[in-house]
Amino acid sequence: MMRSIPRAQTIKKNAHRNLRFGWWSLLVFLSLGGALETLHGFKIGWYVDVGNETRRLMFTLAHAHGTLLALINIAAGLTVRKVDRFELRPSVSFALIWAAILLPAGFFLGGIVIYDGDPGLGVWLVPVGAILLFYSVARIALDLSKIK
Amino acid sequence: MPTLSRTQCHGLFVITAIAGAGALTLISLRDFQRESQSPKDRPIRSQIAGYVTSNACRACHPGNYASWHASFHRTMTQVAAPSSLPANMDQLELAFNGIEYKVERRHDAFFVHKRREGASYSDGQQIVLVTGSHTLQVPWLETGQGRTLEQFPFAYIVAEKMWAPVSQTFLMPPDLKEYYSIGAWNGACMDCHVTQGQSRFVQGNTWDSQVAEFGIACEACHSEGAEHIALNRNPIRRFKIHLTTKSDPTMTNPSRLKGPGSGLACGQCHSVWAFNNMTDKIDFNRHGASFRPGQHDLAQRFVVQPSTVDHSDQKDFIRRTEPDFFGNRFWGDGMIRVTGREFNGVQASPCFRGGEFSCISCHEMHLDTPDHADVKTWARTGQLKPKMDSNAACLQCHKDMNARLVAHTHHPADSSGSSCYNCHMPRTTFGLLHAMRSHQVSSPSVKESITYGRPNACNLCHLDQTLAWTAQKLHDWYSQPIPELSPDDQTIAAGIQWIVKGDAGQRVLLAWGLGWEPAQKIAGRDWLYPYLIYSLTDPYAAVRFDAWKSLQTLPGFQNFSFNYTGTDRLLSDAAARAYEKWLHEVRDPNAVYRPETLLDSNGRWQQDIFQRLRTERDDKRIFLAE
Repeated sequence: MMRSIPRAQTIKKNAHRNLRFGWWSLLVFLSLGGALETLHGFKIGWYVDVGNETRRLMFTLAHAHGTLLALINIAAGLTVRKVDRFELRPSVSFALIWAAILLPAGFFLGGIVIYDGDPGLGVWLVPVGAILLFYSVARIALDLSKIK
Repeated sequence: MPTLSRTQCHGLFVITAIAGAGALTLISLRDFQRESQSPKDRPIRSQIAGYVTSNACRACHPGNYASWHASFHRTMTQVAAPSSLPANMDQLELAFNGIEYKVERRHDAFFVHKRREGASYSDGQQIVLVTGSHTLQVPWLETGQGRTLEQFPFAYIVAEKMWAPVSQTFLMPPDLKEYYSIGAWNGACMDCHVTQGQSRFVQGNTWDSQVAEFGIACEACHSEGAEHIALNRNPIRRFKIHLTTKSDPTMTNPSRLKGPGSGLACGQCHSVWAFNNMTDKIDFNRHGASFRPGQHDLAQRFVVQPSTVDHSDQKDFIRRTEPDFFGNRFWGDGMIRVTGREFNGVQASPCFRGGEFSCISCHEMHLDTPDHADVKTWARTGQLKPKMDSNAACLQCHKDMNARLVAHTHHPADSSGSSCYNCHMPRTTFGLLHAMRSHQVSSPSVKESITYGRPNACNLCHLDQTLAWTAQKLHDWYSQPIPELSPDDQTIAAGIQWIVKGDAGQRVLLAWGLGWEPAQKIAGRDWLYPYLIYSLTDPYAAVRFDAWKSLQTLPGFQNFSFNYTGTDRLLSDAAARAYEKWLHEVRDPNAVYRPETLLDSNGRWQQDIFQRLRTERDDKRIFLAE
């Protein structure tokens, strides 16, 4: 009993952290979407020129992945609150947050310097983020499946 | 009848939908296979070893692909389609040299019917290819002999939106009515108007021609891309290359090369070249060019320079077998005089000997620099790098000249006389119905005009000045010796001598040059009218065309209509109409004409001198083999 209270608090704290992160992250990446629309609106060559197609793709992917991963973080936090006996492991909470940082950041950084059809070196963050995302989603799915 | 449950109904609906979709897929697959069969009556795109086409380059090089796509290199040869042919082709009816032509459209295909005047129309020959898209477009017809093509005898002049006999779009003697014979596209044009063409002669006049890609595509300048693509599927390899300054060894990038290595990428087509021997010619015909960009010679071929000592046996052979070969392409001192062969000029330039200078010193094949706003303008203006239409081009190397520009040119700094191009690259080459800048960097001299007949840069601007005037200026400013000059050279404007008594090659340069704005500003416009009107009846169609276009640059004649391909009677009537209009409506009664222009105060020629010049016209046959 003595140990379950801190554990429950930790789990709640993790879930709250993912929720909080998710909403802030959503704000950041929706803002990025607005910025990209502005670049489109003013036809900024650095972004819309056909020679910068790779940059446009990378920034679009950064926006899409950042937004989606923000929603996944929110969903994970809400799942803890909604599903009895479901626990968001600290490693999963950590992996989800870092996936939501590394994946879009990789795309974004990869779009700043481009080599024709290739993104810049920053794009190598993407597979790291993808592994973290895959781990966390798989872990949540498995843990939910174990609950009777 | 048994009733179906709700689930069964859903199942039946799903099965029916899948079956329907499957049937539609099979139908579209059949259509796709039918469309993907190669046509038998024209040259085709084929799997030529190592070549992958621009489609494969596009994914990784979207910017370069886009700028190439906007260029006229891409559309140098296209498969005939409503989008690649001039508008309203299906309403076209033309006649030339006793034959009438009628174009008929069937769906997206166009067929040409011919008949001798009074006879019935033949079965249609399909228009299968079209070359050009910038200045002139020439359609090509199937012949029924394999993939051999026949030229449609008319070319579409894009700027004028008009059709003209092909023979009247070249500077060629008026009695020549045909330029390209059947099979000429396969045997000659495709050497340069496609990417890695293989003419593949069969027998008689039958060809089985194949190309890696129609038009001048990526691999024409960068060499074949299969290995490059295969190796660069590995992202680690790609990033290793990105992070170093080294070029990818699987691909040539001419923009990273200098001098001949870079220049020959363009020069493989933009030069007068010939085969080393018959074996190489057969090999080229069968397998295509073995030259690859980056190499320092053309392999089976060589760049023909009449004044150099290389390939003397081959050049002697050319002189014996085709005596007019050099005269049709070069001035007497070996300077190239036809357009499209600019590398001959570049190679012969003193700048080229430095080892750095090449085509890409001033031109760029892709919009690498962000200063360009409009890709279409860039494509239409010679694909020049930013500011390369100014003195900045020469100042890249001749940096000290900026500080002593006026001392060197003896002209105001902001005047056309201080433009490096105007003095050192004057418009002494001709092709596609207009004069173009020589790409052989040279200094103006009177000697070049007297000895070789080439209009010098000074008098191409100072049209109203004599050769004696120019000789004196060049002597005073640059210590050039004053050559022996004829009485006409001392009293009659050089421009007038060239346009009245010059040969057709000189006349056409002047017919264009009289419409050149910087020259008009310097030499005045008032006296140009009668000479341009006179040239409307020149025996050479190209001279008439340029005289017409130059006349349209003058006040009062902007909308002057003229059919430069008309009969002698029509030409004379049009010239008479134009002369009357000038004399009575346009001419400034207060205009003062310099005596060198041979016009009196009423704007009438000094007939005795003018008639003498006319009778002295050099009527030697001129054919510029662009």
